[in-house]
Amino acid sequence: MRGGYLRFEIRRAVRDSRFLVFAVALPVGLFVLLSHLYQSQGATPAYLMGGLAAFGAFKAALDTGARTAVERGAGWQRQLRLTPLSGAGYLVAKGAVAMLVALPPVVGVALVAALTADVRLPFAGWAQAVFGIWLGTAPFALLGLLVGQLCSARNVQTYQGGLLLLLGFVGGLLIPVASFPPVLAGVARVLPSYWLAEIGHGAVSGSGRLGSAPAVLAAYTVALGVAVIARYRRDGARG
Amino acid sequence: MRPAAPMLAGMERITPHAVALSGLRKSYGDRPAVAGIDLLIAPGEVVALLGPNGAGKSTTVDLLLGLTPPDSGDIALFGQDPRRALAAGLVGAMLQEVTLLEDATVGEILTMIASMHRTPMPVDQALRLAGIGDLARRRAARLSGGQTQRVRLAMALVPDPGLLVLDEPTAAMDVTARREFWHAMGEFAATGRTVLFTTHYLEEAEAHADRVVLMREGTIVADGPVGAVMARVGGRTVTALVPGARPAELLALPGVVDARPAGDGHRVALRCSDSDGALRALLARHPGARDVEIRSASLEEAFVLLTGAGRTGEEVAAR
Repeated sequence: MRGGYLRFEIRRAVRDSRFLVFAVALPVGLFVLLSHLYQSQGATPAYLMGGLAAFGAFKAALDTGARTAVERGAGWQRQLRLTPLSGAGYLVAKGAVAMLVALPPVVGVALVAALTADVRLPFAGWAQAVFGIWLGTAPFALLGLLVGQLCSARNVQTYQGGLLLLLGFVGGLLIPVASFPPVLAGVARVLPSYWLAEIGHGAVSGSGRLGSAPAVLAAYTVALGVAVIARYRRDGARG
Repeated sequence: MRPAAPMLAGMERITPHAVALSGLRKSYGDRPAVAGIDLLIAPGEVVALLGPNGAGKSTTVDLLLGLTPPDSGDIALFGQDPRRALAAGLVGAMLQEVTLLEDATVGEILTMIASMHRTPMPVDQALRLAGIGDLARRRAARLSGGQTQRVRLAMALVPDPGLLVLDEPTAAMDVTARREFWHAMGEFAATGRTVLFTTHYLEEAEAHADRVVLMREGTIVADGPVGAVMARVGGRTVTALVPGARPAELLALPGVVDARPAGDGHRVALRCSDSDGALRALLARHPGARDVEIRSASLEEAFVLLTGAGRTGEEVAAR
């Protein structure tokens, strides 16, 4: 029953080529730029790949979720409430699309790292870097949906931009955490984006260790999932 | 297509009402938007819900569709809770202020909605019924206002519902678009479906509804066939230019129940319980009276009188 809705959303996402191209081009471009910049500071391209794959993935997921603010503002969610589609069905479809668009940036960064920066990993390492980061993007898809449910179409970009900077910079995805002062490094370890990048960092360190990353990201997923569902249920009345 | 809803009076007892609202209340903060409504609509009725802005029409529609929970009271659509009735495809609705997803085509949107229902109307049929059979491949961003409204009508039709709820369906449509819209509606209602619509255009209610429900300040102030509601205003109105006559004198004429300046500012409008007697007396006592016009009470007069919407010019005509 919800298959039709998911198909509809996937078609819309795939058709939005500008969004998809930009979602891949930004982290790939940053990788090319920063891999030269950071080499002098001891951060390896492989290390940078983990951070930027995570950055590209969570940005695409967050943006996709947050764009629901526009549909909500336009009354589209009210319209959908008149169909058999349940709230859970709507949120699952939106979350699935956010996850779908999160995959190309991860693959893009991994490819450019392998092809231009000579990053070499065993198969298990690549699998962890690509699929680990991709799966770890789930809480960001939910965070995007929560932002989309809380913000108006007009102010959503401000909050989205703020979150992007916080999660990207403070999470240590664009600047290595090793170069942070201790307090900021402490803050970084609270953010889910830090742990998403850790999946990639673990993959390239050769140890394959995941540490607390799966537990932290799972906890964020549950908490944000509950928040999104609670918010969606309360939002039935006109805004 | 479902068979036409049974309309025999004897059947109504065993067929649940299309709409059954009882003791419905909803406040936003301190402001009661719906202050105790009871309403029964039998299958097959076409009902217009009228009232000035802020009378609670849209809140009633939201409550009826389960979009907002009532503070108290019960709602049943075909004997079921709104959410279940919607999920079962028994109800289609056209809401106010819904824009379409600009990046999707009309056909995609309708196919998506149809895919969620167990026994939908074929998308082509819904489009044809809404008078937009040629727009399936059009992107929503490239629709005119009237076309958008009819896409929204097609969206409401696609579940093949027994009850269609339309919240100000023709707002922002031009005259031609309105006429085509009501033509499409008429075809749908003719198959025995139930239709509940709100409108600011009283002539639409008069022309298309079997029954009108007038709301004021969250309550129902009149409910009945159009003719019966108009009759509550009573009799006819005599309008005339009567040089030198004071309103009090005119009000004292036999058969006159109300005297006030007519819309044009020069003449007086006399609402009459007995227009024949009033006219004879008027002409006898005021031989100078001229430009006489007699007409039946209009729904607009009933609306103004019963809803207290004194500013009809603003509330009704301007929309």
